[in-house]
Amino acid sequence: MSETRSQVLIVEDEAQIRHFVRLALEADGCVVQEAGRLADGLLIAGAGAIDLVVLDLGLPDGDGIDFIRAYRGWSDGPVLILSARTEERHKIDALDAGADDYLTKPFGVGELRARVRALMRRRQRPGGEASPLLEFGDIVVDLAKRQVWRKGEAVHLTPIEYRLLAMMVSHPGQVLTQRRLLAEIWGASYIESSHYLRVYVGHLRQKLEDDPAQPRHFLTETGVGYRFQTGT
Amino acid sequence: MSISRNAVDRLSPRQKMVLSVLACVLAAIVASPLRGVLDPANIVMLFLLTVLVVAVSLGRNPAVLAAVLSVLLFDVFFVPPHFSLAVSNLQYLVTFAVMLATALITGHLTATLKEQAADAERREQRTHALYEIASRLAGALNDGQVDEIVTQFVSSEFGGRCRLLLGELAVEVRADKAWYAGELARRVLESGQRQISREEGQVVYLPLKAPMRVRGVLVVQPGEEAALLEGDLALLDALASLVAIAVERLHYVEVAQHSEVEMATERLRSSILSALSHDLRTPLTVLVGLADSIFLIRPSLPEPALENARALRDQATRLAGLVANLLEMARLNAGSVTLRQEWQPLEEVVGSSLKLVGDALGRHRLRVELPRDLPLLRFDAVLIERVLCNLVENAAKYSPADGEIRISAALAGDFVDLAVSDEGAGFPVPESGQLFEMFVRGHSESATPGTGLGLAICRAIVDAHGGRMRVESPPSGGGRIVVSLPRGVPPVVEAEVA
Repeated sequence: MSETRSQVLIVEDEAQIRHFVRLALEADGCVVQEAGRLADGLLIAGAGAIDLVVLDLGLPDGDGIDFIRAYRGWSDGPVLILSARTEERHKIDALDAGADDYLTKPFGVGELRARVRALMRRRQRPGGEASPLLEFGDIVVDLAKRQVWRKGEAVHLTPIEYRLLAMMVSHPGQVLTQRRLLAEIWGASYIESSHYLRVYVGHLRQKLEDDPAQPRHFLTETGVGYRFQTGT
Repeated sequence: MSISRNAVDRLSPRQKMVLSVLACVLAAIVASPLRGVLDPANIVMLFLLTVLVVAVSLGRNPAVLAAVLSVLLFDVFFVPPHFSLAVSNLQYLVTFAVMLATALITGHLTATLKEQAADAERREQRTHALYEIASRLAGALNDGQVDEIVTQFVSSEFGGRCRLLLGELAVEVRADKAWYAGELARRVLESGQRQISREEGQVVYLPLKAPMRVRGVLVVQPGEEAALLEGDLALLDALASLVAIAVERLHYVEVAQHSEVEMATERLRSSILSALSHDLRTPLTVLVGLADSIFLIRPSLPEPALENARALRDQATRLAGLVANLLEMARLNAGSVTLRQEWQPLEEVVGSSLKLVGDALGRHRLRVELPRDLPLLRFDAVLIERVLCNLVENAAKYSPADGEIRISAALAGDFVDLAVSDEGAGFPVPESGQLFEMFVRGHSESATPGTGLGLAICRAIVDAHGGRMRVESPPSGGGRIVVSLPRGVPPVVEAEVA
C-alpha cells in the first residue's frame, strides 16, 4: 500500500494517543494529519483527500457520533472508532451512524495496524464484487449462482441463512450491528428479536465452521454485533 | 375498673347498703303520718318508689336489700297488728309477695339499665379517646412524637406507664434494666401474639401488627389499684393497631425519602465512575501504545531495550485488566449496571470469551463440550463474557502450564450449569464460600499474582442474573467452578418456510 500514500486523519483529544497512533500508521507508510477537536477534524476532513479517519468518541467540543454524521454527508471513506470497553451502547450508535469498525482502549499497535490495513484494502478495491466467487478457508461462495461449497462439497443453506451469509461476506472486516442485520434480513419489525439473528448465525457456524464454538470467520462482537473475517 | 365518675360511684359497697337502709327508714317515717289518710296499697307504692330510687342511684345489691326491707317495714308499721310481724288478714301475704316481686324486678331492671348506660358512656369515651389519638398519630412526624402521644394516652386512660419498642434492635437494646421483660417482648415481636405477665403487677405486651409486618412491641403497665378488664384490653389492642399503622406510615415515608436521596447519590456515583474510568484508561492506552511503538523505531533498538519495552507493555496490559476489573466491581457494587439481557445461545458467548482470553491461555489445552440441544438463555452477553474470561483466566493461572481446561454445560432442572474445570490444585474446601468475596484468594501465600477480585465480580454478575455459583473439587482432582443460570421460557424461533 505504499505506492499511493494513504491519507489518514486522527481526531483524538489526547496528544500522546495521537502520537503513537501516528507512529504506528507512519510505519505503514500512511500520511497522518492530527486534530485534537471535533471542529478542527471536520475542517481537515472537509478539505478532502482523506482515505481513513481514526476517531475518538469522547471529544472536548462534541460527540464523535456528530462527526460521523457530518462526515457521512459527503464521504463514505472508512471510519475507525476508538472507545472504552464499557460503552457498548455508544459503539453501537457510532456504528449505526456509519462508522466501520472500532477498537477498545487500551489497544495494541499491532491490532491498530491490522484494523487499518483491513479497512484500507476495502477502500482500495471498490470493485471487489467484480468476481462473484469468494473464497475463505475451505469455503467457496458463488454470489451469482447462490451456491456454497465447503471442502468441495455443496452446502445446503436455507434462504435466510444464505441472505445472512451474503450480507456478511460482502462486508469483510466490518462490524455489522445486530440492529442493521435484523433490519436488512428480517425486516424492521424484527429489530428487537435479536434471538433470531443469534440462532441463524449459530446455524451458519454449524454448517461452515470447523469448530462452531470457536469460529474463525463469523465472529461475535459481544454486545454489538458480528464481524465476518476471511481468516488468517 | 378504671373510670370513676361521681360521688355515689366512689362509695364502698357497705356505705351503699347503709344508704339503702336509710332510704327505706326515711320512706317509713314519711309514710307513717299518712297511715290513716292513705290506703295501704298507696303506701306500698311509696315503698316501691323508694326501691326504684335506690336501684337507680345505688345499684343492684342495695336495691335487693331495699326491697326486702320495704316489705318488712310495711308489714311491721302499716299492716295490723302494728309493730309486729304477725298478719291479721291473710290477704296481706299476697300483697307482700307481689310487693317483694315487684320491688326485686324493678330494682334488677333499673340496675341493669343503669349499668348499660354507664357502659355505653364508657365506650363512648373510649371511642372518643381512640378517635383523638388516631388523629394525633396521623399528624406525628417521627417515631419520637408517636412515643410521646402514646405515653400521654396511657397515663391519662390507665394511669400507668408504657414503653414503645420499635424494631428488633430496640427490643434487644432497651430491654436491659427495664421494668418489663425483654425476653417476653422479643417473643411477642416474633409471634405477633399479645401476652400478659402478672409478676410484679400486671404488664401487657402488645404486638404492633401493621399490614406489612410486626413493627415492634408496646408494653403497658396500668396504674396501681386498677386491674385490666376485657374492655380495657380491647382498647389497648385498638391502640396498638393505631400505633402500628402510624409507625408503618412513618417507615414508608422514610423509605421514600431515602430512595430519593439514594437515586441522586447513584447518579453522582455513576458519573464519577465513568469520569474515573475515562481518566484511568487514557494513560493506560498511552502506556500500552507507546511501549508497543518502541518496536517500530528504525533502526531497531538493541535487544535489552526491546526486552524492557516488552515487559513494559505486558505490565501495562495487566494493569489495564486490573483497572477494568476494579471499575467493573465498583460499577456492580454501585448498582449502576443495568443488564441488557437477551435470549441467546451459550455457545456464542463461550466462543467470544475464548477469543478474548487468547494469550492468557498460554500452553493450556482447551476442551469445549457443549451439548447441541442447549436451550437459549437470557443474559447480558458482555457481562457473562466477563464471567467466562475471569473463570478461564483463573483456571489458566492456577493449573499446570500444559494442563487441560475444560468448558462444559449441562441441563440441571430449572438451570443450565456451565462449568470451567482445570487440573490445578483445586480449592481449599472449608473456604470455598469465601472465594467469592472481594479480595479473598484461595491460597493467600501463593506466588501467583492476583487480587482476588475476579471471582467476586463473577458472583456479582451471576447474582444479578438470578443465577448461582459454586466451587467443586471433583474426586478426579483439579478444581471446578460451576455457574448456574436460570432457564426461563425461551421465545420461539419460527422455522423457516424453505
